[in-house]
Amino acid sequence: MAAWVKGGATDAETAIAAAAALLAAAHAPVVTGLCAELAAVRAAFHLAGTLGASLDTAGAAGTYAELGSLSRTGAMTTTPAEAAGRADAVLVLGAAPWDAPILRDIAAGAPSRGRAAGAERTILSIGGPGNGATRHVAYPAEAGGLALSVAHLRAFAKGHLAGEAAYADLARRLFGARYGVAVYDPAELGALGIEMLQGLVKDLNESTRFFTLSLSGPGQDRAVVPLAAWTTGQAPRVGFGRGVPEHDPWRFDSARQVRAGEADAALWLASLPSPRPDWLGTVPSVAIVGAGGPDAVAEAAEIVIAVGVPGESTGGALWNEGRATVTYRPATGAPAALTAADVLGRIRDRLTEKKGA
Amino acid sequence: MSVLTLREAPPERLDLLDITPLALSGLSEAEAARIPVGTTRRGLTLGDCFTVRLDRSDTLVIEGGSGRLDRVGAALSEGTIRVSGDVGQRLGEGMAGGSLHVEGAAGPFAGTGATGGLITIGGDAGDHAGGAVYAAKAGLDGATLVIRGRAGDHLGDRMRRGLIVAGEAGDFAGSRMIAGTLAALGVGDHPGFGMRRGTMLLGRHGAMSPTFVATGAHDLVFLRLLARSLRALSPAHADLAAGALTRYSGDLATLGKGEIWAAAA
Repeated sequence: MAAWVKGGATDAETAIAAAAALLAAAHAPVVTGLCAELAAVRAAFHLAGTLGASLDTAGAAGTYAELGSLSRTGAMTTTPAEAAGRADAVLVLGAAPWDAPILRDIAAGAPSRGRAAGAERTILSIGGPGNGATRHVAYPAEAGGLALSVAHLRAFAKGHLAGEAAYADLARRLFGARYGVAVYDPAELGALGIEMLQGLVKDLNESTRFFTLSLSGPGQDRAVVPLAAWTTGQAPRVGFGRGVPEHDPWRFDSARQVRAGEADAALWLASLPSPRPDWLGTVPSVAIVGAGGPDAVAEAAEIVIAVGVPGESTGGALWNEGRATVTYRPATGAPAALTAADVLGRIRDRLTEKKGA
Repeated sequence: MSVLTLREAPPERLDLLDITPLALSGLSEAEAARIPVGTTRRGLTLGDCFTVRLDRSDTLVIEGGSGRLDRVGAALSEGTIRVSGDVGQRLGEGMAGGSLHVEGAAGPFAGTGATGGLITIGGDAGDHAGGAVYAAKAGLDGATLVIRGRAGDHLGDRMRRGLIVAGEAGDFAGSRMIAGTLAALGVGDHPGFGMRRGTMLLGRHGAMSPTFVATGAHDLVFLRLLARSLRALSPAHADLAAGALTRYSGDLATLGKGEIWAAAA
């Protein structure tokens, strides 16, 4: 398994020792990315606890847009399987969902069970370019953004605005659905838009059935959120600087911490492909990355350790978007010598030994 | 008056939650110096970062500020805190009474959840001033928040009670407002997004949401009373309330019982 320290190739044990030394010297390290199998993420939380570090995820913008709304107003949600099996109307919000394979699957089918079984499926969209293949009825977005468009639509749905506007027509179509689903990307829609959408869906449920389907994005945030909850009782952005997990989405935004000079070391965990933070080279950093990936190179960080990629060279529990739950994905190729959980555990062991000595 | 003098720029964020005149009144200087304020494993105490001079009075002065001083005056219930400099996030969080004056700028979430008292920020304020923190029921909840400079985006987000007076503010001022009064000489785009009730008084403003409708110009006794109540805090805002105004009703996407009074163009 490949490893590099300050640009020079080395063996894993030397890199692990160097990583432990780098992190032990820091006062306020951050553990970020968390785009990995759950065993590795769990090991990252335990390491952060030992280090007094804070944690952050690659998809935190979308995660907190979703959680912020959920925590205040609740949510009416459904799963991709239910949407594919029951929906006769699908409202696609924004541009991002059109790139999701799951939307293509939903658009290609028709409701086969429930109150809309046998009906045709209508795809409606606001502010989306479409994917060039899916037939849909498109409505333009407001110039002010997607959240504003949802608000405008909701005003018509509530009957507070009237007239022959495009959104009045869309509101009629939504109320005409027997089982409707609104699909969105939380990072694109934002906290204000999601809260407004959940309000609209509740209004629609006064007379029909309507749900939301939030797309999880490419990272593992959906799996990290429950893990963070069962480990710390909080959402992912927690810090252990005072020995107990403190949750603060603003304070523990790793990019902000580095920009403000508050973080003095970083550990980036990405055994699955994930965009490398542009600030990674500005602090002493350790990168634990998938072997064979674009970031498994000497210049990715001060210390780079390549590990097994879950679902390829190692097995691991990952978010399964189709089933809307965490499932185990076995290795499909030759098993890797090192997993991210091993590396993180061994760094932690070295830190614990150091403390005990 | 008691004085805490910052020795140097703090190496990390400091949490001053427990540093109020009331909390310090029963402590000796040596005891106060041992109060933990650090947020990392350095384990910094008040005495590590400040020279501490206490006289058991109800006024505390923090000499020398920093954007890393979090929760200054949080949970203040009586007395006065003055800061000659900047502060960090959550200034006066959950404050119930007393007064809090910051000469410099404040970080995000100033006055969040504050139920009483007066908070004055001489400089600018970050995003979500008077706004709700993650998962909180409400932002400003009865206190008075005065920002002499410019506030960031989402000023007064989900505020529930009280008064915010700001010079300028960014986009989405008064978003998701539950109730209360917000006055600003200028704001960015989409003021009042998702507001249920409450009153906003605005000078210049950016794009108005399509879910607000103009309901005309009115000469109401309420506006004269508002102008009178604002006069002591800011004559410019009082003049704005006394001038020609157009009323907008909204946000029609929600309850629609909020109102924006905007200076007539």
